[in-house]
Order: sequence, then structure tokens, then C-alpha cells
Amino acid sequence: MPIKDIPIAEPVELMSSVHEVGGAHTVALEMSGVWFGYDSSHPVLKGVNLQACSGEMLMVVGISGGGKTTLMKLAKGLLTPQRGSVKVLNQPLETTLTGKLNPHVAYIPQQLGLVRNLSAMDNVLTGGLARVSAFRSCLGLFPHELREEAQAMLDSLGIGHKAQEKVYALSGGERQRVAIARALMQRPQLLLADEFVSQLDPRRRGTLMEIMRGLAAMGLALIVTTHNLELVSRYADRVLVLRAGEVVLNAAPRDADIEALSREME
Amino acid sequence: MMKREPRVKRALIAALLAVLLFCLWNVGLLDPTRLANGARNIALFGRDLFPPDWGVLGTVAHALLETLQIAFAGTVLGFAIALPLSLLASHLLFPAPLAAAAKLALAFIRTVPTLLWAIVFVVAFGLGPAAGTLGVAFYTTGYLGKIFYEAYEAVDAEVLEAVRSVGCSRVQLARYALLPEAANILLAQALFMFEYNVRASAILGFVGAGGIGFYLLGYIQSLRYDRLMTALLATLAVVILIDRLSAWVRSMVLVPVQKRRRARA
Repeated sequence: MPIKDIPIAEPVELMSSVHEVGGAHTVALEMSGVWFGYDSSHPVLKGVNLQACSGEMLMVVGISGGGKTTLMKLAKGLLTPQRGSVKVLNQPLETTLTGKLNPHVAYIPQQLGLVRNLSAMDNVLTGGLARVSAFRSCLGLFPHELREEAQAMLDSLGIGHKAQEKVYALSGGERQRVAIARALMQRPQLLLADEFVSQLDPRRRGTLMEIMRGLAAMGLALIVTTHNLELVSRYADRVLVLRAGEVVLNAAPRDADIEALSREME
Repeated sequence: MMKREPRVKRALIAALLAVLLFCLWNVGLLDPTRLANGARNIALFGRDLFPPDWGVLGTVAHALLETLQIAFAGTVLGFAIALPLSLLASHLLFPAPLAAAAKLALAFIRTVPTLLWAIVFVVAFGLGPAAGTLGVAFYTTGYLGKIFYEAYEAVDAEVLEAVRSVGCSRVQLARYALLPEAANILLAQALFMFEYNVRASAILGFVGAGGIGFYLLGYIQSLRYDRLMTALLATLAVVILIDRLSAWVRSMVLVPVQKRRRARA
């Protein structure tokens, strides 16, 4: 079925599968003076400050290599800042290289990070791994409720009929939805999406951004990185421009027109 | 500079030839008398191989079945031990010192060839196919363990980060990211190992570890080359059969997956 024909649930229906999130405008992520570099002489981020609140979609823009992905990984706890602090859901972020990460912060990487040899359903179920014992999950014995929740999530994203398909057999748009469903299975309060619609055509991109807007409307804090300034003007509550690792603009998009944003990025 | 390059190349080729000649002379392959004797013996040996003595086919078939059992059981046992050990050797899951210790253990197991492991187990458990099976299992563990942890290290880092992000444990990360992503390599290598083990098991009988090797050695020692030919032909037929079977499994399981992936790419 072509993606334009796939029915998409209303955001309210979609979020019925997601648990209650924090109250309006609770600070979900706070970064203060964050510095990070993969080697000490070339910092990728230089003293970044940012706040992301529940119910808000913050879009981070900047040219390639500007530090957007690094920012997302720091917010997720996959990287540790060399200076400064990261607070997630009012808790200092505990980052460990091999330990468990906070499941209430969902992360959709640029290439989605789906496991290609697993079915769409199994990929979505991995989003609920933190809620299942290691023994049961390793035997594939997910509780019935969790399976129902995963199926409902796929149904509401319009790909319930593809639940048993292996990910390598899905189209780009379908994979995107599986990645969203997996993220929502984490019952997140903060969702980080790293240029995850960049490879889609405008129609599919628009559909998925509408879904993301719906999630923000239901109280999730969203941080979405993008190159696409048109998306920013249409969907962002706030825009943050990163240039050479520094925040050069943090404003509502209506206060910064596209041309001005484009100039800020260069 | 331009002129020096061919001169260096020529000197290098001359040096390589000199080393080769020295090695050939040292192992006796430049001794014409010896070479002539060898050629005559090969001709005699070849003449005595024919016609094969088909009267021993029943005995040979029974021994080959035992060889197959050794190879199959040894491969499955080795696979089962290699899987957890390779996960332990992966720095993606465990701290570097633990992973390094597991890698060292696998390297040691792999260094000892199947035949030597078989001798060790003949000493420990006595003559017979049990020793051979354990020998095959140990070598398989060492070989597959290394291939497996290298396969995990080649898994897309983004997939690992995405699955780790859900807040799962190490065991869950292995079960839902590393193993499924590396599954095709694991299966392909296990099949290759089975083919290899069928061939390797054919000589385990030389050291009393069961299978067709016991008869191969016996026929050589008793100069019954016609019977040896029967055993060799039967072994060749089984090896070809296993190779075809393995290729068929590969085409059924792995090729459709790759085709579908390519079609989607």
C-alpha cells in the first residue's frame, strides 16, 4: 500500500497508547554550559545552553558537522559532557558507557537504528525491554499487554498490517513509523529525533511531522534536528541554531524568518 | 627516483627467488634422485589403488556415518559454547579487561588444531568418537568464537545505540541487537564450519578418535591401497554431498534475505 493511502490515526488516538506525561511546560531537558569534543583540541560543542519543555517541539538546525547529532547523544546519555551539566527530567544525567540508560528519554537516530532481521513487531517490543525481565525477554516471552500495546501503536501509525514483516522488507516511510512506535513504547517524556525525516519526500515528511506535532500537543517534549528550514517554520515551537558548536539563535520561529535562519546557519 | 624503483623491484624478486630455492633445497625437493624415486613410488601407489575393493564399502559407510556424527555433534557443541563466549569477548557488552580475557581464551583454544585436541581427549576419555567429538567442538569454539565477536563489532553502531537507548540490559542488547544483526554471518560461518569439520573429522581416526580415519590409516599400514581407494572415494562423495547440502541451505535461508535487502536498498 503506498504511504499516502495508509490511514494515520489522530494524535489523540495515537497518544492513547502512551502513558500520561508531565504537566504543561515542565522542563524535560536542561543543558548548561556543555562542552564536548571527540578529541580534546577540536570541541564539537562549545558551552551549549538549552532547555526543552514538555508539550513543546524544539527544532535544532545547523549545517552538517555543526554538532546536532552530538547534542542529541549527550541528551540521551550516550556521551558524557567534558564540561557543563545535563539534567533530564530534573535529574542529573547519569551516563555510563555500558550501564542502563533512562528509558523515558527516547532517541530516534538519523538512520533509525532498527534491527533489520527482526519483524516490525519485535522492533517495537524492544522499546518495552526496560519493563520486562531479561530472562523473559530473552526467551521472547513478552507479557500479553505489552504485545497488545505494541500492536495498538503500530495500528495507530497505520502499519498494523505489517507487524510481522521483517524490517528489511519495509519501505522507508514504514520504517520511520516503526522507529516512532519503538520510541513511544518507551513511554517517553522526552523524544529526541535526529534528522529522521531527512530522506523522505515532502509528503511523507509532512505526515510524520504531523504525528510528531500531535505528540507534542499531548505533552511530550520533542527535540528534532533538521537541515530543512521549511519544516522549522511549519512545525517548530522553538528553533535553536547551532553554528560551529555554538548556539547562535534560540527563538520562536515566527521571530526569525527563514532567510534570517539560513544566514545564521552559515 | 624513477630509475631506482625497477631496480629495487628486481632486487626484491631476486631475493624472494633465492629464499624459495634455499627452502626447496633444504626440504629435499632439489634432489633429482629423490624426486625420481618419488615419481616411481607414486606410479606404483596409483597402480595399486585400482581397482577399488568394494567389499569393504559396508564397513567404510559405517565409519563415514560415525565421522558425520562427530562433525555434526562437534559443530553444534562448539557453536553452543562459542556463542556465549563470543558475547563475553565483545567490548560492546563487557568491560575491556573481561572482553580481553575471553578473547585470549578463544585464541588459545583456536591455536591448538583439532587433531591435537583429539589426542588430549583420547588421553582423557579413552579411544573412540567421544574424544573426536570433543576435539572438533573445542576447535569449533575457538574458530567460531573469533568470527562471532568480529561480526558483533561490525554491527552498525547506530543500531546498538538505538537499542541501548531503550534502557535495556546487556543480555537484552545481545539478544535484540547483536545476535539478530549478525545472524546471517553466524549461520553462514556455522555452515562453513560444519563442512570444514566433516573434512577434519576424516583424519581423527589416525589418533584413535573415531571415524573413517581409523580405516584410512589401517589400509595404508597394511598396504591395502585398493581398500584405501574405496574409503577415499566414499569420503569424497560424502564431502561433495555435504557441500551441496550446505550450499542449498545457504540459498534457502541467506540468499533470499540478501535479495530482498538489495531490492529495498
